[in-house]
This record gives sequence, structure tokens and C-alpha cells, in this order.
Amino acid sequence: MKDSLEQLEIIQPLVMKRLKQALIKKRVSHAYLFEGLKGTGKKDVAKFFAKSLFCEQVIDGYKPCNQCIQCQRIESGNHPDVHVIEPDGASIKKDQILYLQQEFSKKGMESNHKFYMIVDADKMTGKAANSLLKFLEEPNAQTTAVLITERVQKILPTIYSRCQHVPFSPLPKKKLEQQLIEKGIKKEKAPLFAKLTNNIDEALSISEDDWFLQAEKIVLKLYEILSKQKLEDSLIYLHTTWNPHFKTREQLEKGLDLLLFIYEDLMFVQIGYEKELTYPDSLQLWRQGALQISKDLLLKKISFILEAKRRLQSNVNGTLLMEQLLINLQEGFTFV
Amino acid sequence: MKFYIKKERLIKSVQDALKAVAVRTTIPILVGIKFDADDRGVTVTGSDSDITIQSFIPKEEDGEELVEIVEPGSIVLQARFFSEVIKKLPELIVEITVEDQFKTIVRSGNAEYIILGLDAEEYPRLPIIEDGDHFSIPNDLLKSIIKQTVFAVSTSETRPILTGVHWMIEDSQLTAVATDSHRLAMKQATLQSEERNGKSHSIVIPGKSLNELLKVLDESNEPIQMTITNNQILFRAKNLLFFSRLLEGKYPDTSKLIPTDSKTIVKLNAKEYLEAVDRASLLAREGKTNVIKFTTMDDDMIEISSYSPEIGKVVENVKSISTEGEEIKISFNAKYMIDALRAIDGTEISIYFTGTMRPFIIRTDYDDSILQLLLPVRTF
Amino acid sequence: MKTKQERKPRIIFHVDMNSFYASVEMAKNPELKGKPLAICGNPEQRKGIIVTCSYEARKYGVKTTMPLWEAKRICPKLIVRRPNFDLYRKTSRQMFDLLREYTPMVEPVSIDEGYMDVTEQSIHPLQLAKIIQSRLLHDLDLPSSIGIAPNKFLAKTASNMKKPMGITLLRKREIPTKLWPLPIEQMHGIGMKTAEKLRTIGVFTIKDLAQANDIQLKSLLGINGIRLKERANGIDPRIVDPDSIYDYKSVGNSTTLREDTTSEEELLSTLRMLADKVSARLKNKSVFASSLSVMIRYHDWKTHTRSKKLENPTQNREEIFQEAKKLFTKHWTKKPVRLLGITGNELVDQGHAYKQLDLFSYEKDAEEEPLLQTLEQLKEKFGENAIQKGITGQKKDNLANTSFSKDFLLDSVKRERD
Repeated sequence: MKDSLEQLEIIQPLVMKRLKQALIKKRVSHAYLFEGLKGTGKKDVAKFFAKSLFCEQVIDGYKPCNQCIQCQRIESGNHPDVHVIEPDGASIKKDQILYLQQEFSKKGMESNHKFYMIVDADKMTGKAANSLLKFLEEPNAQTTAVLITERVQKILPTIYSRCQHVPFSPLPKKKLEQQLIEKGIKKEKAPLFAKLTNNIDEALSISEDDWFLQAEKIVLKLYEILSKQKLEDSLIYLHTTWNPHFKTREQLEKGLDLLLFIYEDLMFVQIGYEKELTYPDSLQLWRQGALQISKDLLLKKISFILEAKRRLQSNVNGTLLMEQLLINLQEGFTFV
Repeated sequence: MKFYIKKERLIKSVQDALKAVAVRTTIPILVGIKFDADDRGVTVTGSDSDITIQSFIPKEEDGEELVEIVEPGSIVLQARFFSEVIKKLPELIVEITVEDQFKTIVRSGNAEYIILGLDAEEYPRLPIIEDGDHFSIPNDLLKSIIKQTVFAVSTSETRPILTGVHWMIEDSQLTAVATDSHRLAMKQATLQSEERNGKSHSIVIPGKSLNELLKVLDESNEPIQMTITNNQILFRAKNLLFFSRLLEGKYPDTSKLIPTDSKTIVKLNAKEYLEAVDRASLLAREGKTNVIKFTTMDDDMIEISSYSPEIGKVVENVKSISTEGEEIKISFNAKYMIDALRAIDGTEISIYFTGTMRPFIIRTDYDDSILQLLLPVRTF
Repeated sequence: MKTKQERKPRIIFHVDMNSFYASVEMAKNPELKGKPLAICGNPEQRKGIIVTCSYEARKYGVKTTMPLWEAKRICPKLIVRRPNFDLYRKTSRQMFDLLREYTPMVEPVSIDEGYMDVTEQSIHPLQLAKIIQSRLLHDLDLPSSIGIAPNKFLAKTASNMKKPMGITLLRKREIPTKLWPLPIEQMHGIGMKTAEKLRTIGVFTIKDLAQANDIQLKSLLGINGIRLKERANGIDPRIVDPDSIYDYKSVGNSTTLREDTTSEEELLSTLRMLADKVSARLKNKSVFASSLSVMIRYHDWKTHTRSKKLENPTQNREEIFQEAKKLFTKHWTKKPVRLLGITGNELVDQGHAYKQLDLFSYEKDAEEEPLLQTLEQLKEKFGENAIQKGITGQKKDNLANTSFSKDFLLDSVKRERD
């Protein structure tokens, strides 16, 4: 537990400093908006914040003891005056809103101190947002609300303007890679996982995902076939191996990402940034490839992949999309 | 923790506590009932966080031993399951033992259940009774205060504060007011206070809690002790504690909204009048609006009428005891009138009108502690 | 049309379905025929009241609005059914459709009665009435009474003379013998209160009314008194108006935009124009809308209609606009709009539109009270219509009698009870 507070201070130093000051100076606002990418520690920080506010033996004026019954119950979800609202499926549901509205209208159970955490606050319906707004307009004396979002542009302006904004910075890649290596991930693999997510736990689970490991192999193989300049082979490979593996749109998107990272790596090799590679163990192969393609053509190919990624969002047929992409990637591959 | 307890009393207390336990809850621990065994006896607690009911089983009552505490302690047990279990136990005495990791053994005769309990430390803390201000009130008076006001609370969440009954206590004088903005009910009563400083209170109790309290209060005539703390109110009867959370926010000042003068005063036999309104409303209800019209006529007669486009019209004349002041023709929601008349429960009532679009009040000469106010319906 | 009308005597039918709700129930369930049947709102509750009953039940003395327990006491064999208003409305529509097969000049007055103007029909009126009556019985299994007379008032009086399954012809020359001897309270348009007032000036029979003093009548009942006297003399100029009060269920206006547009400003100003139109039409018909719907048709012809129940019925243009705007902004997909429409639904008649006043806002309404009281006094003095005309200023003459026809409707219900 103590580790995690220190970890939060490492990954979000600015956020933690700000909340620490508010706690120590006892100038906690009624509403905060925690905004930032997935896996940047927003929920963990919110939980720390709730504990600090309720803890019976705060250390140094801001650190929760994690021992007292308040801290323990916040951890277990049993604190009657700490409310966490998370979307049930795609959005925050009607009965959750009703619950929230009714909670707002009542005093706390144990004291007048209340804490609300609303996760994915952008997923509130208009009605829910309005009832929240009503509360934000006339907050009760000892209530603190923390709204959490990954899509700050989707928050109603009226709500946005009534909250203190706490931006969470994306985790520095290298820091995450380092953490992954400490957790036992191979040095050559860490950059890829760190590239796919900001969250250490998610990165770890990807590293154990068979589907993903297989996907990585298929993508690398596809690159090899493409570089052999045989369109037929690559199309056959698409139908025999690629398609059966990348079935859903999300899977296909991951596949395109992995492919994109290869061409990015080629680029890094060309411009001499070999330390930035996503697939450092393929360095030799990339060096060969980088020699066979002009900078302009490489940029063009990257833009083909980006274009394919974009079209994927508009519900296009996956096979057609890939066929088109392979033709584009194949054309103009020139040997020096 | 280990104790022996009389099954009948345990069942009774668990059932009382169960009344507060919600079927679904966002706070996991509240699916359970908490048991506390100490040197005084066993306390059984159930809660949905809005209301909390505590039932106490003393070690001894009228010379009869009810509980034997072997080792004090606390545990939370899954409420619905436990209440089913104890009902089925064979013997008159139940033994409850908590072992490591909250493993709880319930024994009676040859039957033995092992239930996995939850840590009682996780259970919500209730306000400490000594902290608040104390009052005392006769059981039946408390019930009538509730019954005469709570029906008028709002059921809509648009103005949450109106879903509660406003209690103002000043110099031991209680004024309870409820309004959904279409009608208002007010009741006054004197409390016995142990306070000497005469501190005043203004709290709003959720209507739902008061309705639950009515179900829990028994017929006994022992006074109920009340304690008001910052965020909860507590009602204490013999061996039973009922807590309710209070509503947050300021209740609107209703005192200025109650008219003090009147232009027309109609005194009526309450029963005759109620029946006439009820009959008219039967037809009005078919038309879904439930509006009836009240018209003063010559010779102290009152015409009660209602119209429904589907069915037609019903007209009934009621002789008033007296009609003073200006003539009036006014429409109102029959249900609100019936509710108000039932709450007043007097043989004679007087209605004080100040205009066809202004609130009017209903009182009885025999009991000036109660006032009912209705807003009329405007007809276009 | 008007000049023609003045020259040629009209032939008016009043078709009145006999104990309509009970008859519909019997048509649906023939086993009930010939048995005392009552329709009652809450059959489980002893306190429920009789909404209507069959003639068999009436023989026992069962009456409309009588409490159920009382009805059961005087008629222990009484069969009680819950009302099925949907079925009654459906049957009512079928009935009027049947009447319209003979002439488009059908004016429904309520769910179970209406007027027909059959002047232009070549067939002999008595013959036609027989055909209509037997078709109603044959096709819909519903008994009816038909009154035939030169105007609405006399037709209505006639249909009431013989029930059930009567056909009564009332000629103008028969007025002194058939109409005048009746006590005044049996005349349509005269309720208990009016009858009471009339008795104070010595009017006890319809004949007394027909010969009463104009000035006395006017001071007692206002302009209404004169009108009643005219009717007692068999004069009733009201024409049969197929578009009259009862039959419309909604009032709506829509407009196609000059070109498909996404301009919110233009769309809202169009909505405002539509709200004004709907409001004017509601006022013209003396009705209030209890719910509102907004129709949006997009450039691709996809059409969405969204409705909302109003807190209080309205005919106010600003209220209609504000509600329509709320509905529109909530549902508009921001795609180009081709057509917009506003419709007021669930209409209620003036005098029966209600607004529950609010403790925290009633003052706004109460401020209007003195003005309304003055209007009320004027109404009593000069008659209801004089004032309504004054307000709307655009009421068609033949529509000005809505309150009268309503009285008829109410009166027939009252009479059923008496």
C-alpha cells in the first residue's frame, strides 16, 4: 500500500503535489475533474484522495494511514459515505443517476463528510449530468466530488467550468519500459508493450496474452512476405493466416498498429534513432529494409496504414481494406 | 464471540432489523445484519444506509434469562440467509460461535450451520447517542404527527428537499410541515425536553423513513425518546432504536405562505362532506384529472360537482353548518381534499378561502394543532 | 348556401345511441342481452359508481352515478362490468362512419350521439331513419333512437321522446301539443339551476317559457334567456357542422421549408410561426392541448415525431413554442430539415382545462383573478358568448354555441339519472 502512494508520486508528481498542498492547507475544493489518458493513475489517485480526507490518523498532513477503519473501508468499498459511480456497460445508467441524485439530497450517514467518485464522467447522459450540475452549483459544505475522464472534450462545458482541473500526464515511455523490465519482461519486448498502453498492469497482461503474441508473429511474417515483392503470396497469406486471426475490428486495429510500428522502426533506422525502436530485436532486419526504400516512399506507406486505420473506424469490410492496403504497400517497393 | 440465546427473541430481533435491509445495495457489507454481544446483551442491527434499525435483546428480562454471553464480540451475517436459517432451527435455544476468519457456527440441538461472516469493523458507524439533543414524546402522539403530515411530501425528485418532513423545534415546541407544493400539512406538538438551553432545531426527515418508522412502532404507550444529531435522527422505544439520515439543504420558509385572513369561511360536517367529495371524485377520477368544483349557494348550501367528458356530470348538494363571507366557486384536486380531511379527523371542519386562485386552509375547531392547506386548480 | 338554407326548411336527424356503453358490452358479449347490466368504474369497490346501465337495470331503478352498493341493493341480480373506453371509442367511430355513408353532414356531439342534416337526401326522412336505425342494429348490434325535426333543438327533443329504438318526428306545428306541456326542467339546455331560477319568475312549463317576458328573461339569465325562449318556440338557427367541436382529436400545423436547412435560427423561427398558428387554432376551437408533438422530416424523408405530455393543458403561443423548442432541440440530429410540424393532442374543452396551482408560484395566477372575476360578472350579465367573442374576436357564429351543445350533452346525462 505504501508502495503505491510512492509510485503515484513518481508517475504523477504534479498531481500529487497539488493534492498534497490542498490537503495540508485544508483547502480542498468541492469538485475536481481528473483528466488524462487511460492508465495514468486517475482512479488510484482519487482513492488516495478519499482516504486522505477520511483517514483518522493522517501522516504528515496528507498521507492516509491505510490502517484505520476509514481507510480500510474505502479500500473494500464499504464506506457508507464514499460513493463510486462507474458506468454499467456503455453508459452510466438511469438507476445509478437516481441513486446519485438521492445521495446528493441526503446528509452523510456517519458524518456530514461525503465523497463521490464518478468514473468515466463523460459517459453520463444529459439528465445525469444535469443533476450533477445542480449539485455542483450548490455544493454541500463537506462534500468532495471527483470526476474522472479520458475524454475531457465530452464533458459538458457547464460542468467543466465548475470543477478544478487536474490534468494527468501520460506516463513517460521509458519509465514504463523500465518498470516492465523490473517486472520480468524481456528488455527487447518492453518497448512494444509500453507503446501499446500506459498502464503497467495492462502491459503485463498483454505480455501474457497468447493471441497477442501470435499476432505479433503474423505481422512480422507479413512484413517479410511484403518485402519479397510477391503480391500473390501476400494476398494468400492474408486469407490463410491473417484473416483467421484478426477477426474483429478491435483485433484488426491492433494488427494495423503492429504493422505501423514496423514502418515507424524503419523510419527510425533511416534517421538514426535506433534507440527508439519498438521491435529492437529486429534491428538487423530493419537495417536491410531501410536500405531498400526511399524516405518518401516510406512516408507514403506509413500514410497508407494510417489511412487504413482511419477507414477501419467507418465500418468498412476488413478483408477489402486489407487487400487494398497490401496492394498499396507492395507497389513501388524498389531494390537499390 | 460466543453466546446462547432464546430462539424466539432472536427471530423477533432479526425480523425487526431485516426491515431496514435493502434487497440491493451499493455498499456490500449492508447485505448483512450485525450482531454485537457485550455484557448487557445482544444488539442486532440492519441498515440500508438511509434507515437503520437496532433491536436489543437484554441478558435478562422480568427475571427471565434471554441471553448467555460466553465471549463478547461482533459479527456481520448475510441477512436473508441467516433469517431463514434461524426460523428452521429445532430447539428453543440457539448457540452462536464465531471462530477464525469470521467463520460462524449456528447450533441448535443437532442442527449445525456454518456461515461465513463478514468483519463487523466494516459495518457503518452509527451516531453516538450522547452527542445529540434529547426529547421525549408519547408514542401515539408521534404516530399522529407522522400520519397527519407525511402523506403530503413530494414524491418527485425535482426538489428533493420536499420529499421530507420539516421539523422545527423551538423551546420544546415541534412544528412539522410537509408540502409537495400542491398542498401542505402542518402539525404542532409539545415535546418533553431534557435540555435546559432551549436550543432550536430545523431538520428535514425523509418521508420514506417516517413511513417505515410507523411500521416499526408498536402499540405500547411508553414514550419515545428522540435524539437529533448533525446528520441523523434517532427514535428510541423499548429495546428498539430507529435511525434515519436527514435531508441536506434548506427547507423553504412556508410560514409566510399560509394565509392568515380569509374572505369566505365554510363550516361543514366533516363526514358528510368527505363522503360527498369522495362520491364526486369517483367520477372525476374516471376523467383522470380528479378535479371537483366547490360552490357556495344560497341558504348555506354547498354544491359539490364534477365533470368527466367520458361519463358526464355529478352534482351533489351538502348543507353547511354555516357559510360566512363572500360567495366562492373554486376547483381543487379531490384526492388532496380527501387526504386532508382524513388527516384532520374531526367531526366538524372549517374551510377558510381567500380567493379562487389562492391557497385555502382547513382546520377543525376542536384541535388547533393541525392545519391543512390546499392549492386550488385553475380552470381555463 | 346561406340564402338557400333560409328558404328551404331543413331536415335534421338527432341520432342517440341507447345506453351506449352497456349496449356495446352486450354487442361484444351477447349473453348479457336482456339482463340488468351496469358499467362501473371500480366493480371491486362497493363505493364505485354506476357509469351507465342497460334498460333492464333501469327498470329496477338503477341510475347513472348511483353508488354500486345501492344499485346492488335494489337490483341484486345486477351484472357489473368495468368500462372499456377504448372499445367504446372504437365503436363510436364505426357508428359515425356508418352515419357518414348517408351524408357527409354528420356532426358528432359526444361519443354516442350526433346530428345529421339530411335535407339534400332524396329518400323520405322517415324511411331513411328506419334504414339507419336498422343498420345500426344489424351491423353494430346497437339500439338507437332517432329524432327528426326541422332543427337541432327539436330533433334532440324528438329523439328523447321514445327510447329505446324510437323514431320520432317532431313538426313545428306540433310544438304546442308535444313540447309545451312539458315541465321546464325537461327542456334541453335547462339545468336544475336554470329551472330553479325560471320558476322564480313563474315559468314552470315550456309553454310558460315560450311566452315569457323578454326583459325579465334577459335580466334573469342574460342573453341565454332569450335564446332559450326562441328554442321553446321551435326556433334554432344552429346548422349541422361536421367540423364542430367534438370530433377533432388534435390540432396541428406543419410547413415545408423553402429549402432544406440546418440553420437553427431559421428552424426556430419556423417553430415559432407554427406555434402561433396552433395556438390561434386552439383558441378558435376553445380547446386546450394536454400534450404536444413535434414532427421533423429530414432531407432524406426520414421523419421523426416526438411527443410530450404537458404539465398543464395550454393554448398559449409562448408556452407552445417553448415546449416545442425543447422537444426539437432534444431530438434534432443536426441534419438538414425539410419539414417541421407542431401538433397539440389530447384536447380538452375550455372550462375543463385545469392547472394545479403551486404553493411557490400561485401568485402569478392569482394576479389575474380580479380581471377574470370582472369577466365572469360580464358573462353572467350578457351571456357567455358575448365575452368569448370579445376575447377571441374570430369565432364563427355557428361555433359560438359550444357551451350550449355541451349543456345538451350534460343535460342528457342528467336526464338519464332523473
